[in-house]
Amino acid sequence: MKKIAATIVLALFATLLLCQGSLADEIKAVAVITKIELAADGASAVVALKENKTDAVIEVLVTDDLTLDKFKDHRIVVGDEIRLKYQVEDGKNISKYFRKTAGC
Amino acid sequence: MKKSVKNPILASMAFAALALPLAAFAADDALQQKVDALTKEVETLKQQPGKFDWLTIGGDYRFRVDSLHATIADYYQFTGDPLAPAAMKEEDVKNDTLYTNRLGLNIKAKVTQDVNLTTRLLMYKSFGNSDASATSGTFFADRVGQFDGTQGHTPGDDKLLVDQAFITWSNIADEPIWFSVGRRPSTGGVPSHLRQNADKPGNGGIPSLMVDYAFDGMSLGYAPDIEALPGAYGKICYGRGFESGYEKDSDAGALNDMDMLGISLVPYETDPLYLNVQWNRGYDIIDAPVIADSAFGPMSPSVNLGSIDWFGVTTLSTLKNVGPGSLNFFVSGAASVTHPNDNLSGGMAGLMYNAGEEAESKYGWGAYAGARYDITSTRTKIGAEYNHGSKNWVAMDHASDDMWTGKLGARGDVYEVYLIQELDRKAIASYNARAFFRLGYQYYNFDYTGSSNWVGAPQKISELDDPMKQQLFAPVKNAQDLYATFEVRF
Repeated sequence: MKKIAATIVLALFATLLLCQGSLADEIKAVAVITKIELAADGASAVVALKENKTDAVIEVLVTDDLTLDKFKDHRIVVGDEIRLKYQVEDGKNISKYFRKTAGC
Repeated sequence: MKKSVKNPILASMAFAALALPLAAFAADDALQQKVDALTKEVETLKQQPGKFDWLTIGGDYRFRVDSLHATIADYYQFTGDPLAPAAMKEEDVKNDTLYTNRLGLNIKAKVTQDVNLTTRLLMYKSFGNSDASATSGTFFADRVGQFDGTQGHTPGDDKLLVDQAFITWSNIADEPIWFSVGRRPSTGGVPSHLRQNADKPGNGGIPSLMVDYAFDGMSLGYAPDIEALPGAYGKICYGRGFESGYEKDSDAGALNDMDMLGISLVPYETDPLYLNVQWNRGYDIIDAPVIADSAFGPMSPSVNLGSIDWFGVTTLSTLKNVGPGSLNFFVSGAASVTHPNDNLSGGMAGLMYNAGEEAESKYGWGAYAGARYDITSTRTKIGAEYNHGSKNWVAMDHASDDMWTGKLGARGDVYEVYLIQELDRKAIASYNARAFFRLGYQYYNFDYTGSSNWVGAPQKISELDDPMKQQLFAPVKNAQDLYATFEVRF
């Protein structure tokens, strides 16, 4: 019984750690686009951005169709300010949220 | 000696002969490397912020010709004496050719981090005229002359007017929250941009069925990141439609300012689905705007008539790769509910009721639907729209881009078809720069009087043969506008 309880606690702890890990991996930023490189097949794009607060340059891989469509018809262009979230997977920054800064 | 001299020369020549091709190859290689490096540098520079990266300049110009025809119904004209109206027979009114110029200049400045200034300047005039008289008439309340809510959107003089000027502070508290104040982007909203061949308005836009009016005001917005609701945002908007000025303690019954409050929710915004739900309230609605030279002479408000609520829903969809192009379609519906007080304008009419009637709340509704098909290969866009307004429908659409009257404020039916042909030319001024022709036709069929007006009770246009139903505005029963434009946007 004790073993089962310990296993459940360990499993919960591990799950919590994993969740924390995944949350910690998600990085938020507000940055200005400096370069958009659309893949030849149009299925992805590598976007370079300069972060507002640190001036650090971030390069993210964008694969979602909604954002790619905006690159293709120039609704999002170099110079636009973006609020983004990305995760580091296999050494690449994978975009999870990519949207022009809200405002009018 | 000779031998020793000759040998080095010969040796040099031989070496040069051998080395030249190698050197040439090496030079070619180095040159190619330099060209490659320069190309890469230029490409990088092209994409990097420049000296004037903080400033974006754009604009548009439109030449337009309208051929306008309408029929005024039999009616009794109010002459100032309610006991002596003038009997008027049905007649046609027309302007075969009205030419207009409209120039817009857009300037956006990134002032500091998170703070932008957006401006739009507009000049809109008719050929051969430098005031609003050519397009003002005694037919509709929104076209008796140019006023604060319509200036720049109806033909006037040749001055550049400030149509928009507002500061936006974004990323407040590091959250997707923004605050914006100034002369607002409250005209040309979704889905009216389709027939204008304009870009879809951003977060600042307002559904055109409910509001198409140049307002000074402010908004506070929030765009949360909710995975199930892509593009979601909401905002609270406030605008001042009339400023009454100074008020002394001794002023009895002085005018109040007219204000507008609204809540706009966009729970979903993607290309296949845009959804907007909105509520507005107009407080202390005035009976007339300030117009120095209207078709009736100088006008100014005399009383506050009450308030009006508006509720509306707008959906818009863009489906790509439908046959040889894209299909855009929309449906928009709204309701207006008046809350009149006992005040009468000129002792004759209150908020949607006439003197002698009970000051009761009136419910009206408007609906707007349409589609545009874009043929990708030929850059041709074909569209059709229809809207209907009920007897008591009232809209805040005075700045609509329509000559006769704001079509979305009509109490009746309006049909419009149009064709847009873009020139197949490479964009130079900006990514989305374009030049195009537009040919369109509008047909209005009015059921009730008072379109785009909230003063007085609407009357059925086919039943105006009664002196008791005398009218201030000549009741147009149908109107047509055949128009063509040549436009550039950059």
